Amino acid sequence: MSGPVLEIKGLTMSFGGLVAVDGVDLSVNSGEIVGLIGPNGAGKTTVFNCISRFYEPQRGTIRFKDRDITRARSHEIIRFGIARTFQNVELFRSMTTLENLLVGEHVVMRGGAIRDGLRLRGVGADEARARARADEILEYLGLADHRDSAVSTLPFRLQKLVELGRALVSHPALLLLDEPTAGADRHESQGLADLIRTMRERFDLSVLVVEHDMSFVMGLCDRLYVLDFGRRIAEGAPADVRRDPVVIEAYLGEPDLEVVDA
Amino acid sequence: MLLGWLRTRGRAVAPYGLGLAAVLVLPAALGVIPGVAPGYVLYLVSLALVYAIVAIGLGILIGHTGQISLGHAGFFAIGAYASALLTLRVGLPFVVAVLLAGSLSAAIGFLLGLPALRLSGPYLAVATLGFGLAIPQLVVWQGSWTGGSSGLHGLPLASLPLGAFTIELRTDQDYYYLAAAVLVMLTIFARNVVTSHTGRAFVAIRDSEIAARAMGVDLVRYKTTAFALSALYAGIAGGLYAHLLHGISPEDFTVLLSVDFLTMIVLGGLGSVGGALSGALLLTFLQNALTRLPVVHDFKNLYIVVLGAILILTIAFLPHGLAGVVRSVRQGSAARVRGGASRADQIVELGEGSGVR
Amino acid sequence: MTGVAPDILTDLPWGQLLVNGLALGSLYALTAFGIVLIFKTTRVITFAQGETAMFSTFVAFTLLTALRLPFAVAFVLTILFAGLFGALIERVVLRRISTTTVLNPVIVTVGLSLILLGAAGWIWGYEIRTFPDPVVGPPFHLGTVVVSQLNALIFIVTLVLMTILFAFFRFSPTGIAMRAVAENRVAAQLMGISIGRMNALGWGMGTAMGAVTGMLIAPINYLDPGMMGDVALKAFAAAVLGGLTSLPGAVVGGLLLGVIDSVAGFEVAELRNTIAFALIVLVLVVRPGGLLGRHEIKKV
Repeated sequence: MSGPVLEIKGLTMSFGGLVAVDGVDLSVNSGEIVGLIGPNGAGKTTVFNCISRFYEPQRGTIRFKDRDITRARSHEIIRFGIARTFQNVELFRSMTTLENLLVGEHVVMRGGAIRDGLRLRGVGADEARARARADEILEYLGLADHRDSAVSTLPFRLQKLVELGRALVSHPALLLLDEPTAGADRHESQGLADLIRTMRERFDLSVLVVEHDMSFVMGLCDRLYVLDFGRRIAEGAPADVRRDPVVIEAYLGEPDLEVVDA
Repeated sequence: MLLGWLRTRGRAVAPYGLGLAAVLVLPAALGVIPGVAPGYVLYLVSLALVYAIVAIGLGILIGHTGQISLGHAGFFAIGAYASALLTLRVGLPFVVAVLLAGSLSAAIGFLLGLPALRLSGPYLAVATLGFGLAIPQLVVWQGSWTGGSSGLHGLPLASLPLGAFTIELRTDQDYYYLAAAVLVMLTIFARNVVTSHTGRAFVAIRDSEIAARAMGVDLVRYKTTAFALSALYAGIAGGLYAHLLHGISPEDFTVLLSVDFLTMIVLGGLGSVGGALSGALLLTFLQNALTRLPVVHDFKNLYIVVLGAILILTIAFLPHGLAGVVRSVRQGSAARVRGGASRADQIVELGEGSGVR
Repeated sequence: MTGVAPDILTDLPWGQLLVNGLALGSLYALTAFGIVLIFKTTRVITFAQGETAMFSTFVAFTLLTALRLPFAVAFVLTILFAGLFGALIERVVLRRISTTTVLNPVIVTVGLSLILLGAAGWIWGYEIRTFPDPVVGPPFHLGTVVVSQLNALIFIVTLVLMTILFAFFRFSPTGIAMRAVAENRVAAQLMGISIGRMNALGWGMGTAMGAVTGMLIAPINYLDPGMMGDVALKAFAAAVLGGLTSLPGAVVGGLLLGVIDSVAGFEVAELRNTIAFALIVLVLVVRPGGLLGRHEIKKV
């Protein structure tokens, strides 16, 4: 596929009187890693939540692989091929690592309560296949040792990794990552950037990343979009965006802005 | 289905095997103990087993899916009245009547699940409470064909068609085996659901609706399924109940009964099928025992106070119920075998990671 | 009635039904205040409001009959008792349980109501007693409509209390502190507000409110352990209907429910509860936060 995998046009989302996202256009091409950056409260996560269909945008369209998903239901999104992680890790806290990943594969499991209750033909096979796939991902992410640990016992860093695994396990075409480096130090962020890059190759993914950490984003993304107060203020290659005076002004005063020459 | 289940579940089956053996042996054992009226005890146990069916279904709704219902006596009543009316007035065979009663209850459970999609927490509690109150009221209102406040009596003896001949259920022992058989089947079904992707979807809804949706769990489908499933169980149990007692009246289905069901699963441990079972058994016998104590004559309704105390004490000191106690004992001994996990791991393992059983 | 079906518009004594409904509704609203108060300040839904009210009323009864205290004295002492009782409940029971799930407080308060129900029956027995009427005098006549003095009193007390409480939570530092604790524990603590004290205060006030309610209802419903059962249930529905954090909502919900109950009771007496609850479910489905409440959406 050569056209854009994800195409958002004129997205507008307001809550009561507050306009969180204002006429935003953005697209992700197949195989790209695109960054969505901007100061706090710029509306980045809101864009994600519109894609995930947790919010009803007032205006705009969202197309994924040539399909209009603007009005799709939230549980259909992963079925189309979009999986995501969350800013505040939203793991299933009473489950183990493996179980969390298994839920990530929910869409490939056939049948409902009756089929499961009666353990009809195919249920066992589906389950075995799902576990194998989950184990594969856990192995890939280095989480195999924590397979049967309760996720609530894991350190934050590992929890984020589990969430990543949960998103990966469904064979998504597009991965939405919401602030994956939150709480990570320099070294960990670097590792994460490398991981995402290799994931793109290995799993044939496109990635849209919301981030605050500038150096992470500069080193990782093919293209950047910058939002401020809900509007898109810049777009382009990281090197260009970094020097854009509009962007610099938007970030002026932001303590975590670190425009370091790579 | 049974063999497949046995094959995959191996070691986990052992306690159930023991339980099954106990169930089969009980009537004979009772006959041997002096001073015990085996018929009455069997009746009591049958009642407990019937309640256990409700508890298991309710446990899936409240424990696994994280919803709430203060009105499950309503589904119990629907099942009881449907099966009673179908056998008494329409002359349908027992098995058909109970299955239809269960299906009716499940359908209504599905319908109740729809508004439940918009409501949560206290609002859902009030709505289900209202439902539970409405059912007996509706029964009395339509007294002309439901028997009204005096109820329905003289239900025909249950009979099970088996190939060429039919078994008629006459004695307490017969009903006991019937209740036990139905309970075993429904327990297996429940365990299957709970350990499958459906069960995981339920728990996902409880833990994080947002993440569940993002992972493809259709909330509408699964919440209504949880309601329907719990209503199915309560309905079938109600059908059995009506025939166990040979008659019913609206007063059998009060708010207190709904609270009883809730207590059973809280005591047994939310999110545990085995817990629901033990909670039901314990509570039924407790209720009966309390009404027999000599001290009780001054203290009418001692049962109510004890029930209340159980609820509070369990939540305060045993938040994971009896199942939690069993689990921590098991993990405690396993840890000792392993050489002792760190304290932090143990504490957390008591509750977390045990959502899907 | 003869064979002619009643014509809804002309044959129903609308005026009287309305007034009865408002009177009944005031009872629901008064009881609902306690529920809303406790929820507003501790975020706990208490299913025990009816029983604490009943228990306090029995205490009042003992003060009046066994100790022969004058009504005003007994009234005040009972309210004090109820306030302390509520704070005690908060301290001993509520503080020990985790309120992270909605289910826990529900179960615990249900348990509490059961204990109080049984205890009251044990201490005072189950015979139905009469409770003295605080106001004596002939009923008022407004045209064809009759309003008893007690009903009028209740209605006035309801409106007065609503105003006082509303002002308290809006404008007084303590009231605002109590709301703060419920809405954002951590921030409140950082501002030096004691969570425990505010919660205890909330429960104390809510229970005291219940005592007032009980003492006003007892003359009408007679005094026995079950006296608050139906009222508390409806009050609960009224509180939920109005939006659990809104005091005016409790009044609106209560009065609305009272009128519906009154009219339904006239037409289809056996289905009173069913109709009332069906309507509540309907309202909640359309407005999940209640009529005047705020529906909180979780931020992702």
